Amino acid sequence: MLHEALRFYPGGDRAIEVELGDGMDFTINFIVHRLVAAVREARIAGLVDLIPELASFQVNYDPDRISYEDLCHEIEALYAEMGRGVTGTLASRLITIPVLYFDEKTEACVEDYRKDYPEKTPDPELICELNGLPDRAALRRRHASTEYWVAALGFWPGLCSLLALNPTARIIAPKYNPPRTHTPKGAVGLGGALTCIYPDATPGGYQLIGHTPAPTYDGAQRLPDFRDSLALFRAGDRVRFKPVERDEYSEIEARVAEGTFRHDIVDYQVFSVDRYLDWAKAQEEASK
Amino acid sequence: MSRTITTVKPGLQTCVQELPGREGFLEQGFPLSGPFDAWSFRQANILVGNDRDTAALECQFMGPTLTFDADMLIAVTGADMSPALDGAPIPMYATVAVSAGQTLTMGFAKTGARAYLAVSGGIATEPVLGSRAVFHQAGVGGHALIAGQTLPVGVSETSALYVLPESARPVIGTDRVWEVEALCGPNDDWLDEATIEMFFSTDWQIQTKSSRTGIRLTGPDFGFSDKALNKSPDHGQDPSNIIDHGYPMGAVNLAGQTPIILVNDAPSTGGFINPFTIASAAFWKLAQAKPNETLRFRRVDRDGAAALRAEIDAKTKPEILENA
Repeated sequence: MLHEALRFYPGGDRAIEVELGDGMDFTINFIVHRLVAAVREARIAGLVDLIPELASFQVNYDPDRISYEDLCHEIEALYAEMGRGVTGTLASRLITIPVLYFDEKTEACVEDYRKDYPEKTPDPELICELNGLPDRAALRRRHASTEYWVAALGFWPGLCSLLALNPTARIIAPKYNPPRTHTPKGAVGLGGALTCIYPDATPGGYQLIGHTPAPTYDGAQRLPDFRDSLALFRAGDRVRFKPVERDEYSEIEARVAEGTFRHDIVDYQVFSVDRYLDWAKAQEEASK
Repeated sequence: MSRTITTVKPGLQTCVQELPGREGFLEQGFPLSGPFDAWSFRQANILVGNDRDTAALECQFMGPTLTFDADMLIAVTGADMSPALDGAPIPMYATVAVSAGQTLTMGFAKTGARAYLAVSGGIATEPVLGSRAVFHQAGVGGHALIAGQTLPVGVSETSALYVLPESARPVIGTDRVWEVEALCGPNDDWLDEATIEMFFSTDWQIQTKSSRTGIRLTGPDFGFSDKALNKSPDHGQDPSNIIDHGYPMGAVNLAGQTPIILVNDAPSTGGFINPFTIASAAFWKLAQAKPNETLRFRRVDRDGAAALRAEIDAKTKPEILENA
């Protein structure tokens, strides 16, 4: 739910957390991105960096050029001017990510954790249990049945937070407690209402359900899709997961190794927010 | 002759750093990076006639052994790693002229944890995403030095030799206790009031698992407010979970019951609360505090933090230098 007014929380003497609402949903996140774009365009002197997140954004500023109070007022004024309307269209790329669900790399990672925490239910079974899904095949079908919205990037270079655009395909998952010390690069994880793809081998806390051989981060900019950017995703992109079998997975792996792999990126679509919200509502009603 | 430095021994983790760090890419998940102790870093630069934000080397816990391939000016500041040129000790916080072929050795830190080595002209590695600052863990802007690696050095006309007055240098104490200024927020309202008092009255021990990513602390358990205990399920199950949000630099991040101070190479976002944030002018203390030392937090407000910033800013300007 959106708050009545913006809430400002100081993060030390150089950052502000601006909270717009309470909840992980498309509407709040969309307004976050619109406000961040408006703040960016306003070119406020002393503003250094912006980090849009699910329901809030962080502003880093130079306190010797603008005060906390003045910056809060400027952002409030921009929000008032912008209004709360969730409407309009935006260019949005659709990126298809091949996934081998329940692959051996993430299975081994889960088993490795379970050596120390044997009471932990294996990740796919835990998610099936919590979401009323009968088995792994049903989990794979549900997970691959919707487009996802790139709501935010962060925590690690190129790590994405993906929200299911079809509300009936939403899957919830608890996070690891304590977190894992290691996650394989390319693992696909679920945490809260989000999906992520681990861009690199890092610690992590999301439940693992599969693996993609297609890189989402290329620090060396070796692959053609990374010529302009080290990270594949941008906020506002859409992602679809395509289940693949072993042969296709291995073929993609080989093309990545030889440096010829190209991502499946559709770059000619426009995303209509109004039509999306109507459609999402209809989906929800039909499922009742 | 090439204007370079050759790495003979790399030290424990020696990285090129630059100010202000990798600004503008936090929203893609890249940390800011940059020097952990910006005070010492800037002083090293002004001593060799550079702009104070120029790329220089940050040496962690044990410094490197380096050979200079051309004549240049150098300065070492921060932690005392017993710097010596061709075996003869050199003063810290002073410009030292080195000749081509001379070798600088640095050892284990006797006081503090991070030393800075600036060279006239600055380290001239290729910027990545607008900065030369190294994020070692992901290899952004390069990695820590390895043996045999050469570093390009920029051109410089300067030849003046300076010393930094004792009164302007950061004081790295020997009592292993640090008083660190901190502000409440952004998420102090997720804790109960007794816990906020507890935070500012506790002796926190620095864990050995501490690095440029985070300083992990050992101390009492945290108690939570209603906001943390009765929240929408989107935030997560643990009282310390919150809907993913931005992580300010210097935030005291609470994951379960372990406070971790997020520093230069820390994650940009995540799903845990940040009840307190260290004043930016006190970050240098976190850089110089070693594992098993003690942190005590002193509460300041934004005005207090501004006064501390102004004090350090004045001490990192060329006007304070004295002629050698």
